[in-house]
Amino acid sequence: MRALLVVLALVLSACSSGGGDGKTTIVFWDNNGGPGRTPIYEELIKRFETANPDIDVEYVGIPSSSVQQKYDTAIAGGSTPDVGGVTTSYLAHLVGQEALAPLDERIDGSALKGKLLPSLVETVRQTAPDGKLYSVPSSGNLDVIWYRTDWFTQAGITPPKTWDELVAAAEKLTDPSANRYGYTIRGGAGSVFQLLTEAYSYSGVTEFFSGGKSTVGDPRNAELVGKVAALYRKATPEADVNNSYTQMVAQFTGGSVAMMHHNLGSWGDVTKALGDRVAALPLPVGPSGKRTVVPNPTDGFAVFKNSENQDAAWKFVEFLTSKESNSYWNEKVGQIPANTDVRDAGWIASNQPVKMALGVLEDPATVTVPAPVYLPQYSSITKTDSEPQYQKVLLGDLAPQAFLDEMATKLTAAQKEWEERK
Amino acid sequence: MRTKRWAPYALIAPTLVLMAVFLVYPIASVVHYSLQRYNVTQPWKNGFIGLENFRFMLTEDPLFWQSLAFSAKWVVVEVGLQLLLGLVLALIVNETFIGRGVARAMVFSPWAVSGVLTTGIWILLYNPSTGIFQELARWGIGDPGTSVLGDPATVFPATVVTELWRGVPFFAILLLADLQSIPNDLYEAAAVDGAGRWRRFISVTLPHLKDAIILSTLLRAVWEFNNVDLIYTLTGGGPANQTTTLPLYVARKAVDSHDFGYGSALTVAGFVILLFFSILYLRLSKFGSRA
Amino acid sequence: MSRVLRLHVPLGLYLLFTLVPFYWMLVFALRPTGSTALVPWPITFEHFDTVWNGIGFGTFFYNSMVIALGVLVFVSILSLMGGYALARFKFRGQRLFLVALLCTQFIPGAMMLIPLFVIFREAGLLNSLTGLIVADVAFQLPLALILMSGFVRNIPVELEEAAMVDGCTRLRAFFAVMLPQLKPALVAVGSFAFIGAWNNFLFALMFASRQDKFTLPVGLSYALGEFNTDFGALAAGGVVAAVPVVLVFAVVQRFLVQGLSAGAVKG
Repeated sequence: MRALLVVLALVLSACSSGGGDGKTTIVFWDNNGGPGRTPIYEELIKRFETANPDIDVEYVGIPSSSVQQKYDTAIAGGSTPDVGGVTTSYLAHLVGQEALAPLDERIDGSALKGKLLPSLVETVRQTAPDGKLYSVPSSGNLDVIWYRTDWFTQAGITPPKTWDELVAAAEKLTDPSANRYGYTIRGGAGSVFQLLTEAYSYSGVTEFFSGGKSTVGDPRNAELVGKVAALYRKATPEADVNNSYTQMVAQFTGGSVAMMHHNLGSWGDVTKALGDRVAALPLPVGPSGKRTVVPNPTDGFAVFKNSENQDAAWKFVEFLTSKESNSYWNEKVGQIPANTDVRDAGWIASNQPVKMALGVLEDPATVTVPAPVYLPQYSSITKTDSEPQYQKVLLGDLAPQAFLDEMATKLTAAQKEWEERK
Repeated sequence: MRTKRWAPYALIAPTLVLMAVFLVYPIASVVHYSLQRYNVTQPWKNGFIGLENFRFMLTEDPLFWQSLAFSAKWVVVEVGLQLLLGLVLALIVNETFIGRGVARAMVFSPWAVSGVLTTGIWILLYNPSTGIFQELARWGIGDPGTSVLGDPATVFPATVVTELWRGVPFFAILLLADLQSIPNDLYEAAAVDGAGRWRRFISVTLPHLKDAIILSTLLRAVWEFNNVDLIYTLTGGGPANQTTTLPLYVARKAVDSHDFGYGSALTVAGFVILLFFSILYLRLSKFGSRA
Repeated sequence: MSRVLRLHVPLGLYLLFTLVPFYWMLVFALRPTGSTALVPWPITFEHFDTVWNGIGFGTFFYNSMVIALGVLVFVSILSLMGGYALARFKFRGQRLFLVALLCTQFIPGAMMLIPLFVIFREAGLLNSLTGLIVADVAFQLPLALILMSGFVRNIPVELEEAAMVDGCTRLRAFFAVMLPQLKPALVAVGSFAFIGAWNNFLFALMFASRQDKFTLPVGLSYALGEFNTDFGALAAGGVVAAVPVVLVFAVVQRFLVQGLSAGAVKG
């Protein structure tokens, strides 16, 4: 019985929390909490609170794998934060649930006006059916090939510019007896999203829909899928068919893979393990030589409609995307700053991947092919339905063309529904 | 025995209240959603659709049947092996030997490890570049780069072994606790009758453990049926849906695709199946009847 | 010789199976990132620093401990009551109650999140350790109660009857005779409840939206995120999460043995 009382006392003491000192408290959900990013936000929050002594920011780090579930539950249960980190890959769902406040007017009336990279603003805007801006972009991202500079030098190979060169390099760098492989394929969770960026970078197709029909099934896309699938087990570890990000990056940082396709976001993970033995390349191009880029999901900050302190929430968002904060954040995580004033910051010149990515995005010859993340079914088609099918392709049980055609049919239908609703 | 009629009800009252508040309403809401089209990404389509989800599930969704079949295989293999190994382990650590306390603490310890951590540890262990198979290959056993989770031939046994690691102690602890309550005189009587070790096991130990075995296998079967995290994190249900269980399919539908209506219908199907088999199992095993 | 084959060989093999994964975790926790040494030397504590000071495992640890202890106490008491009722009485609705208990285990927690969330909000239980204790008790109790009824049933009813003939009330007879017999059962059921609560991930993440109310499994999942994969931190966090439970286990498992000798069976 005494044990019970002790526990009760413990519980009750843990429940009482202070408040009521006249300060406004806003709750901020970090959509990618963890050892890599939490400390950076903590520093930024400290700075914000010093500059705004009347506002307290309560940081909540959500593990990235559960963030959509957390948002869905919170929205359905009517208990959302004031500010949340969001990416365009699920922004449409949050907008569809009418959970967010539009931010266009707030931006127009703030110092951010005209200071955000137009291409990123456009990616965010197109996720909403009403064309409004529901998040302030903070970072741009780009798909890249991370590669082992030391191995390339050793083997006397120059980094690949075309997909055929990549295939050749991957085969040359493979030595199964030494547990060394030229390339690694993301075959598990998140695979098809990456595959599509690869396919379009090869095919040079410049639109996701042509006359209302999905271009995913373009034969040149299928050609690329075939080339990648042919690398499986020949120049990649066997484990790749089930690789999610965690396993894929473990193989790369563990020193058994020469090249890995991911994006700038893994900069922290790969440089921590490999230091200057790793660098980033743009995705190779195909026979056309055209550089077509499917933009990676854009990170940003959203203000929730149910927030009772929207003004304070906005102040925080404005602060996070201001020149100084945005520079600090992107320098730490190695991504492309959304605030154009940061363009000339000193650190960019010395950060090879970011400099390279900016070069690609600012090159007038680059064509961006935005994926239709605005389609409500987009993630269910490309993830739930297509990821297992892609594994069949890798295992040789399904032809690349048939795989892409199936996906294209579904995307075309979803697009048609979308057009009709609009 | 003097028995007050209200006594059992008073004893189960707190449990009933908790169940009513925290379980009945949520379960009812799952049933409710199973009759709706409910998808947060397309709220304009939401609404009552009767049994349409079930019609689609039974007639047009091969993945439902495939995942159900794999669930059955998973439950039978896992529970069977866990019971067998758990029983052997319980008998071993029930013997008297030096260091028994330490040995018990060690063999039981994986049960204390969370699902998130179990998968974390085994991801490290199975990893083809930093895992155990790479280490073994260095000593000349097997090939470098062996990936048990990537090879369709080994992904199932590899996942089974991981769950065994954590699941066997559950049975071992439970059965050991029950072994402790077998009165010694029963064994002594059997020994006087000239029964050998094996006979004593069959005629004394097993009958005594019967109820514990029935209950633990049933609970464990239900638990393994609904076990999502481990397979989800280790294999994601792949390759090519080969390791997708029904609840994993539910998670992909309801959580990843936000199709809560269809996910609820799948859940209801799982519920009915488990209910049917549980009652059947309790009937057939004559639970609670003493020999 | 036969004892070696029967006892030591299988035990040794099983110990190997149990301990190698733990060792793997320990090695990752103690060696620097990028190292592949099988013996972590020199030892580094950087990963422990990351999880304890950088991610806040100190707070998570405290929360997990409070929740698990609370669940342990309530589940033990309630399962003892209910298990006794199921095993020793015949009452109307008994089978129905047993099946209802089982039914609660039939639905994955993930499907009940939204309705549970609404209940929690209405009851003011969001963002509190009390709320998480209540939720965990509700979900652990059915299993514990069923197990406990099996244990009670295995204790000869004659023991109790004898005490009651001696003039004890049923309640006194329970405390004097049954409770000592049920010690191993309480250890088993109690540890299951403790561990179930200690390891609950989903409820802790969904029903708490404050950093200072999160628990160890939430902390662990931080180290597995996209852009945040940190095996050293994962392993170090794992050591922090696993060591206390393993130690507690090592201590209480002694009581698994005591039921027999303390009881009235022999005397």
